[in-house]
Amino acid sequence: MKTLFYPRLALTGMRKNRKLYLPYILSCIGMVMMFYILHALSYSEVLKNAKGAATVGTTLGLGKYVIAAFSVLFLFYTNSFLTRRRYKEFGLYSILGMDKRKIGRVVIFESLFVAIIALAVGLGLGIAFSKFAELGLLNAASIDIDYRFRIPPKAITDTLLLYGIIFLLLMGKSLWQVRRQNPLELLRSENAGEKPPKGNLIIGLIGAVILIAAYVTAVSIKSPLSALTVFFVAVLAVILATYLLFISGSVALCRLLKKSKNYYYKKQHFVSVSSMAYRMKRNGAGLASICILSTMVLVMISSSASLYFGKDQSIRSTYPRDCEIDVDLETLAHFNDDVIPELRAAYEKSFADNGFTPKNLYETRYAYITAAQNGTTFNPDPSSVGAINFDDVRQLLFVSAADYEALTGEAVSLKGNEAFLHTDRCRYDYQTLTVGDVALSITGTMKENPVKTESEAFFVPTLALVVSDYDVLAPFDKPEDSYAFAMMTFRYAYAYDTGLPDEEAEEIFADQYDAMNNVFENRSDFDGWGCYSGCVATARADFYGAYGSLFFLGIILSVVFIFAAAMIIYYKQISEGYEDQARFGIMQKVGMTKADIKKSINSQVLTVFFAPLLLAGLHLAFAFPLVWKILQMFSLTNLWFVIGVTVAAFLLFAAFYALIYKLTARAYYKIVAE
Amino acid sequence: MALLEVKNLKKVYSTRFGGNKVEALKNVNFTVDEGEFVAIMGESGSGKTTLLNILAALDRPTAGSVLLTGEDLSTVKESKIAAFRRDNLGFVFQEFNLLDTFTIADNVYLPLVLAGKSYHEMSTRLLPLADRLGIGDLLDKYPYEVSGGQKQRAAVARALITEPKILLADEPTGALDSKASDELLRLFGEVNRAGQTVLMVTHSVKAASVASRVLFIKDGEVFHQLYRGDESGEQFYQKISDTLTAIQTGGDRG
Repeated sequence: MKTLFYPRLALTGMRKNRKLYLPYILSCIGMVMMFYILHALSYSEVLKNAKGAATVGTTLGLGKYVIAAFSVLFLFYTNSFLTRRRYKEFGLYSILGMDKRKIGRVVIFESLFVAIIALAVGLGLGIAFSKFAELGLLNAASIDIDYRFRIPPKAITDTLLLYGIIFLLLMGKSLWQVRRQNPLELLRSENAGEKPPKGNLIIGLIGAVILIAAYVTAVSIKSPLSALTVFFVAVLAVILATYLLFISGSVALCRLLKKSKNYYYKKQHFVSVSSMAYRMKRNGAGLASICILSTMVLVMISSSASLYFGKDQSIRSTYPRDCEIDVDLETLAHFNDDVIPELRAAYEKSFADNGFTPKNLYETRYAYITAAQNGTTFNPDPSSVGAINFDDVRQLLFVSAADYEALTGEAVSLKGNEAFLHTDRCRYDYQTLTVGDVALSITGTMKENPVKTESEAFFVPTLALVVSDYDVLAPFDKPEDSYAFAMMTFRYAYAYDTGLPDEEAEEIFADQYDAMNNVFENRSDFDGWGCYSGCVATARADFYGAYGSLFFLGIILSVVFIFAAAMIIYYKQISEGYEDQARFGIMQKVGMTKADIKKSINSQVLTVFFAPLLLAGLHLAFAFPLVWKILQMFSLTNLWFVIGVTVAAFLLFAAFYALIYKLTARAYYKIVAE
Repeated sequence: MALLEVKNLKKVYSTRFGGNKVEALKNVNFTVDEGEFVAIMGESGSGKTTLLNILAALDRPTAGSVLLTGEDLSTVKESKIAAFRRDNLGFVFQEFNLLDTFTIADNVYLPLVLAGKSYHEMSTRLLPLADRLGIGDLLDKYPYEVSGGQKQRAAVARALITEPKILLADEPTGALDSKASDELLRLFGEVNRAGQTVLMVTHSVKAASVASRVLFIKDGEVFHQLYRGDESGEQFYQKISDTLTAIQTGGDRG
């Protein structure tokens, strides 16, 4: 009998505090389940063999680590609510003569029970739902579905190992806290209010300055390349600023509201404002966490949904035509010799052999180079690339007046070094332009960029120039010179739509590609040539796989974060409910009605709980330019579409948030109105 | 007409599944006139806390009625009961029941805020009252920053600020040392002389001796009552003490 004493004590304790333990155990189960599912998916046989599977695997691997890291933070956070609540009980045990080692034994049994339940149920649900998740993922990534059910043993052992360690760490933390506490302190309830932190105004100012700096950086970003590097710094700065602002903000707000006698001494505000002031710092920190989780969910879901729902757009902007072969020649000489007619003839022959006629044929020559802009000078030297600012990188495209006329039907008359200009994603307000040794004077502009190949989808700011003739670029045509000047590439682009099913299109494209290869094999005078080739039919699987799995992961992680935010809101409400229970009891004796309690809770909601949502919305708005830049790298080009998806994501999230709030507010009301 | 009229009050507690029944109050009858200071005495378990809870409308009687200025408490709707309590009754508890989240001033304001009074009206009521009760300097402090006696005086202020028809006190000196107790009882006497009706439940003879009338409750019934008349505090104290001894040793009704 004696041996069962501690486990029984642990079980009674958990049962008595089930309002706290149940959500905690649920959180543990949820984390174990999600980790197992993502881990098991990475062993999925279907994924291994499918097209586009490599990108899916990488994305899921990333998600797995995010969940593992988040589990540690989140479970430690929720666990702290439990221990705080149990101190009183442990204090009583200790006064009744139970020494700390024996209390420790109760803690060990408790942790053990939680771990066993969480691992068993979490794995069980994980296994049960993994097939659903696989089907969802395959569907999102447009991979063919198979209905066999598998349980990868490695996924089970890894999950057990990881969460075993996490639960061990949690137990260690609880034991250490019990050891450190003095029983009398444990028993005595904390009844002094929180003092406002010193220099609250300064904390708030620092927070505001950091936030504004982060916002300004995010908004003023020009190049998508710098967006990625800035993104992480901005995220950290915003997180820090959010904590500082919410803590000092909630203190300042409480002071302000208390000072305003006409507001404070109203029955619906009186109680809520005073209890907010009573725990202002804790309040601020909790709200900041909720705000950050909300922002994470919003950014993740809006960007991954934009990618997913915009996947056909981005395929189209990456591949303006269904199939495209661009041959890159290193010298200007080849541009003008017979290789291009030879290629054209070879292409046409391969099409004819297949009985195929290309639609919407787009055929042209152009030259291009990437360079760093400094005023009117563009430096194409690749050795300086490491030292330059990403924001200064420009792509320059050159089309001859003759080719321009062939493409657009518009005749332009240009002499010598004169050029017409069109810019994409940048401005150029000068009249002259020097790139390497070539100096051009700009005499007019074009409405549209004549070059409509894959390079148009490129996210780098681009200057498209119509020049009198390609000979203007002769200074670049020195392959024996430094490698630097070989950077100018002369391209023969050939793109067309097929209007055929993917598999047939792929065959035609493969034949065309072989024809191109044959041309070069038969010509000994080519030592340097390159080729870009792309076909929607082949790329579609990769696109769908990548964007589908990103969206899937976005949903999974959003579910985890929303769940976490819900738990934080719940614990905040419940723990405050227990603190406030006695107070509301007294107030009911003094004449507070149940309706007054409801009004008071509502006032608290309006003052406090929607602040994180609003700030998260603001964060999202300022993160948007940054996210938009990054999405452009994924070839999304429709700004209004992305804005629409983002707004929809925000509204959906707000609805969720209100629902979570309503449910937890009810739990709070039940506790205090008892 | 009496301010408070208690008629044939009966309260039976039954355990959750209806098995055992405990009769806390058998048949209680008494009245309190306006301006009286009545103390109710009895041992633990005599039913005095049950009686006070019923008078305070915190609990409902099994049978019988409580009339406050002619209005039957049992006819007040459940939803209006808190407001009724707030508007008509003032409470002082043994454990003060002040809220840590409020300053002393805000604690005193609480019932007025709940009644929807303007801040201006509240503050004009508070200042003279605070001075009378000697808490004028403590208004901005929090309950955990002041002594037990000061807390209880704040609780009295909270009870009186609504100008209740009757002040109900449950062992108000129970958690106080003797000096603070004397001070508080002196205040009660003062408040009563100014016209406030007071009903106090206590088992302290000293506390009861401040009252103008003492009711003794035993086994759920009013067993005996003493009027102070024009006796001095010491004499009345002696008389109460003798009566208690008599009741406890099982004497007859006097």
